[in-house]
Amino acid sequence: MAVHRTCDGIQRRDFLRVGALGASALTLSNYLRFAAADEVKNAKAQAAIFINLGGGPSHMDTFDLKPNAPSEFRGEFNPIQTNVSGIEISEHLPKLAQQMDKFAILRGVSHSLAAHELGSLYVNTGNRPIPSIEFPSYGSVVSKELGGPPDLPPYVAMGTGYQKAGYLGVRYAPLTAATAPKAGQPYSVRGVSLQNGLTVSNVEERQNLLRDLDSTFKGAEKNSQLLDGLDRFGQQAFSMITSTRSREAFDISKETPSFSEQYGQTSFGLNCLVATRLVESGVRFVTLNYGGWDTHQDNWVRLKTKQLPPFDEGLAALLNGLAQKGLLASTCVYVTGEFGRTPKINTQRNGRDHYARAMFMLMAGGGVKPGQVIGASDEKAMGPVGDGFKPDRVAASFFHNLGIDPQKEYQTNIGRPVMIVRDGEIIPELFA
Amino acid sequence: MTRVQWTNAILFLTVVAGLPVVTLADDVTRIDERFAVDTITETPDFRQHVVPLLGKVGCNGRACHGSFQGRGGFRLSLFGYDFKSDHEALTAGEKPRVNLAKVTESLMLQKPLQVIPHEGGTRIKENTWQHKVLTRWIEGGAKPIGAQTPEFVRLDVTPDEIIAKQKGETFVLKVVAVWSNGTREDVTPLCRFQTNNDQIASVEDTGIVTSTGPGDSNIVVFYDNGVVPVPVILPVSENFGDKYPAVATPTKVDELVVQKLRKLGVTQSDLCTDADFLRRVSLDMIGTLPTPAEVEAFLADTSADKRAKKIDELLERPAYAAWWATKFADWTGNNAGKLNNNKSGVEATTLSGDWYEWLRTRVEKNVPYDQIAEGIILAVSRQDGESYEQYCERMSSYYKKDSTASFADQPSLTHYWIRREFNKPEERAMGFAYTFLGIRIQCAQCHKHPFDQWTKDDFDRFKEFFSRAQYGVTPSNRSSEQEMLQHAGIDVKKLKGNDLSKVIREHLTKGEVMPFNELFVPTPKRNPQAKEAKNDKEKKRPQVVAGRTAKILGGDEIKIEELGDPREALMDWLRDDTNPYFAKAIVNRIWSGYFNVGIVEPIDDLSLANPPSNEALLDYLATEFRSHNYDMKWLHRTIANSRTYQLSWHTNSTNEFDERNFARAVPHRLPAEVAFDALQLATMNDADAASWKTSLSGRSIGHTIVDSRAGARGKQSYALAIFGRSIRDSNCECDRSSEASLLQTVYLQNDSEVLAMIGGKGRWVEQILKNGRSVPPERAQQEQKTRQAKRLAEADVAKLKQRLQNAEKREKPEMVNAIKAELAERERTLATENQNGAAAAPVLPPSDFDLPAIIKQAYLRTLSRYPTEVELARANRYYEETTDAGRGTRDLLWALVNTKEFVVNH
Repeated sequence: MAVHRTCDGIQRRDFLRVGALGASALTLSNYLRFAAADEVKNAKAQAAIFINLGGGPSHMDTFDLKPNAPSEFRGEFNPIQTNVSGIEISEHLPKLAQQMDKFAILRGVSHSLAAHELGSLYVNTGNRPIPSIEFPSYGSVVSKELGGPPDLPPYVAMGTGYQKAGYLGVRYAPLTAATAPKAGQPYSVRGVSLQNGLTVSNVEERQNLLRDLDSTFKGAEKNSQLLDGLDRFGQQAFSMITSTRSREAFDISKETPSFSEQYGQTSFGLNCLVATRLVESGVRFVTLNYGGWDTHQDNWVRLKTKQLPPFDEGLAALLNGLAQKGLLASTCVYVTGEFGRTPKINTQRNGRDHYARAMFMLMAGGGVKPGQVIGASDEKAMGPVGDGFKPDRVAASFFHNLGIDPQKEYQTNIGRPVMIVRDGEIIPELFA
Repeated sequence: MTRVQWTNAILFLTVVAGLPVVTLADDVTRIDERFAVDTITETPDFRQHVVPLLGKVGCNGRACHGSFQGRGGFRLSLFGYDFKSDHEALTAGEKPRVNLAKVTESLMLQKPLQVIPHEGGTRIKENTWQHKVLTRWIEGGAKPIGAQTPEFVRLDVTPDEIIAKQKGETFVLKVVAVWSNGTREDVTPLCRFQTNNDQIASVEDTGIVTSTGPGDSNIVVFYDNGVVPVPVILPVSENFGDKYPAVATPTKVDELVVQKLRKLGVTQSDLCTDADFLRRVSLDMIGTLPTPAEVEAFLADTSADKRAKKIDELLERPAYAAWWATKFADWTGNNAGKLNNNKSGVEATTLSGDWYEWLRTRVEKNVPYDQIAEGIILAVSRQDGESYEQYCERMSSYYKKDSTASFADQPSLTHYWIRREFNKPEERAMGFAYTFLGIRIQCAQCHKHPFDQWTKDDFDRFKEFFSRAQYGVTPSNRSSEQEMLQHAGIDVKKLKGNDLSKVIREHLTKGEVMPFNELFVPTPKRNPQAKEAKNDKEKKRPQVVAGRTAKILGGDEIKIEELGDPREALMDWLRDDTNPYFAKAIVNRIWSGYFNVGIVEPIDDLSLANPPSNEALLDYLATEFRSHNYDMKWLHRTIANSRTYQLSWHTNSTNEFDERNFARAVPHRLPAEVAFDALQLATMNDADAASWKTSLSGRSIGHTIVDSRAGARGKQSYALAIFGRSIRDSNCECDRSSEASLLQTVYLQNDSEVLAMIGGKGRWVEQILKNGRSVPPERAQQEQKTRQAKRLAEADVAKLKQRLQNAEKREKPEMVNAIKAELAERERTLATENQNGAAAAPVLPPSDFDLPAIIKQAYLRTLSRYPTEVELARANRYYEETTDAGRGTRDLLWALVNTKEFVVNH
């Protein structure tokens, strides 16, 4: 069945043994050398929340302001002080400014794919897209590497985005929830939530019936990875549907009002609240898609009225909420769009267009040293000072923070060897 | 481990490495012996000895200097075949790895000996033959390959097959390289060896093979450009060879399958039951579950040839063409997301529909496979004698509203060539190789193919066949194009991109003639220097010059500049009787549609290192397929009528672990489209189900859009995606997945879509509950009264609520309070009645139904068989426990579609 040929040409039944492969004896990876030399602190995070700001948020109007740039670049927003002296961000991020001591800003992140799809695939996988390989999204890699509790999905994605399982195959695809949560109500997730008035005892009864009727292949499971796998997944699905933990994980009404208040009522804020609960319950990886950043037109109006307030409130609450629950130390939060936006203002439309040479990314939690700015863009935010950081390096650091060697090698579905992050070194400054 | 092996078939005696070897007269002594002595004066050859040795000790591996970045400032070609650049890397540059003046100080020696620090560790030891080979090569001047270096001809590997008698038994491989100057050298110590299955056999660096378990696999030998698989077998039982039991082999296919099984000592399972056969062949051949009536009729049929008749019948169903056209659409890469680069105004999804229909009509008419392939490979937009204007007129006619003409009528499937990511010659070469050759040549785009004979040079020459076909409007037709647009009043200066497409589409719909891009093959420009280059005798290999020549994989160099369409040479090659891929690739694909595993697996990896599990079988089918004029229905019939296809999935002690030699049916998950259709068919009402026999509407096995564009993802079926329908991203079979996953199970168990299929309006459960109930008249009356009373009470409550609202609006507090009080009272009564009457009102007593009949129907429509006594009793008991025929039937159907038996073809 699942007999795959690996690059060393060996056919193996890898159905339940994936992970044992790949690490070539010859590979003395940089990762190990780094770790041994103590150049990079060891992993602290056990879970992750990835926030994808689809459309490409303007770096110059959010986390990389240039108040002294010429007027055709500058934009109308002013910087404000944060609770970390010396770090300033946009005046329309007042709540995040008060949480600056909980996250790090990467400035001068740079790449060259200024199209939505390609850029998104890049920042969702940490690998520059190439036609011959479909790379897996972060969550697919993390759920493959770290797994999750049996009664919870390891990987949940909220909203629609670019979260693919790629060459890792459908079994590492995220459980997706495309609808927006509503305040004070359980969040409905495809296939997991009980609907149509079904009760747990109903489900248990029909499950008993199923167990008795599903007997044709009894005894044949031991010789068939497929039958064995179907059995396992059947048990896991049942426990996911019926377990109190999984249902409560999605039920934001279980949160105390005093806690959930800070997340606000916007769908982004509520998504952040769901993400907090999921991670607290033991879900390994949560991806949150928050689009609308493609501000070719009316950049400043749209940012200050529509995009930034929910973002400011939701992300500040997420960081603070995780800290309150004692989860920030074990949860890595990574925020990015697919690119930045043109520093030079498009005066015809009062907007900014796609721009990949300079952008920002945020990272918090786990071993990340908070309250710092790493890297910089030039005086007009046109490009990085020095080499800047490629998305690959941020991705490598993200995996490292989760204890995953970014240079670990997988086999694609045609047996081609490929590293988790093909071309990125960890950024040591991120970790302290 | 080190016991001596005698092999009669072979003319030499070997013992385990390290001890003397008696060789054939014309063989040169092995390199490890020649260089074992200090007095050696021979200078080793760069190609024959040095590069293979560097490969053998791991220098050019991809984790080391074979990596694209190199390591430590030193890079070798991956898997070593680029002798020129490897030689330069060793001898030239800022930091040459050889030091001709002070040989012992060469980095090439000091690093692998770890005289100085080496990240890759110690690769060779002091004073060994490896050390001496490298030293002698440097002492000899570190020469590159020269005119006197012979060409590689082949590897002779002995023994050519290993049949072990017990686990742990060892064998010694001897590999002789044959060179164009007639020399033969035992190169065993320089070869790379790999096992294709370490549970069957392991192999050491020295070429010692150890049988590790029963079954069959291959040890593969690599040296220079040679790749040779050596079959290794350890029979699974005592009953192999002469002791093999007499078994039925009614067809040639069976005969060839058993011929292999005889060697293995594996006996086939018994024939499967009629019910298993019908379900299996229906799912495999037409992607559709049999209907309950069909199952019952087939089981009742007593004629001896009913299986063969059923096969003939299924091949004529519309679903046959629909399902296999979907597979062809996978193999050719029909993806709307890749068709959005045309500016014709025809939507990508429409083009994708054209593509599918073009294939489907041809499968339906059973057009010979080579002709279908020709329609794709030699595709051009214009038909013979057609002008550009006539072409646009014809194309436009396909896309006007209610058109009766169809793109499928035209001889060429041009869409195959107009895809995004199918523009460059190398992209086309890779896609073509997947689709029509069943091989993966993309590795050779950058380096020597690790599992096949292809070199980067082979790839570069092969891709030239694809460089000429172009898609666009030729300069000579530009004015015509503009005229058509102007004629329609379209201002191309104002309209761009999607806006322009939209307007053009509107005009097309109205029946106007719009310009179209065309796929064409321009006549080549002769290279004026061609003659001169030909006379240039200095060059040993003809240089690759775009457009002039191209080379068939493993075949001839062809002067494509003299051909009107270089692709014709490819098509001729495909049709040639000696073509090693074309017929085999499709035969293997169709075979795997019935056995879920190819004779070569993965089905698009017909490489040397991945030999067929049964070569005789693949050869037979491919040869016969060709001599039957590429008749696909012949092939389907031949496969499905074999006894081998009709075996039971129940195992015996010899075949329980075997999944590649066709000794039994191997349970496998239904393909995504088939699974989703089965789910629909199992839960839909009888009338809808009957319509599926003739109609394809709503079928997932028919045309469903695959669209890789991000925005399109939400519009596509969630179920098909999680069940792993092909994403048609490359032309690789690996774009489809038949793995099981948690999401699939969660979907089947609890997704609202599935629950609605089971319990929703107009579905089978509702039909049964409505029509299948027989109630005593008095109780029916009583129930109706209760329902009426309840409706009235509910209406009263609704009225009261309305009055309450009015009163509140008019701000009359007394009235509000009075109504509230009454409302509360009414609602209380209603609630109590509902509670008390809960059992009576909405619940359908199981005793009102013919339960055995329902249970039987539920089994027939899901598992395509009758329930057993035990199953019948268990289902009956469930109805009793739930006391509700509604819930009972829903849960029974739910349980059946959630059994492994449902989602697995067996």
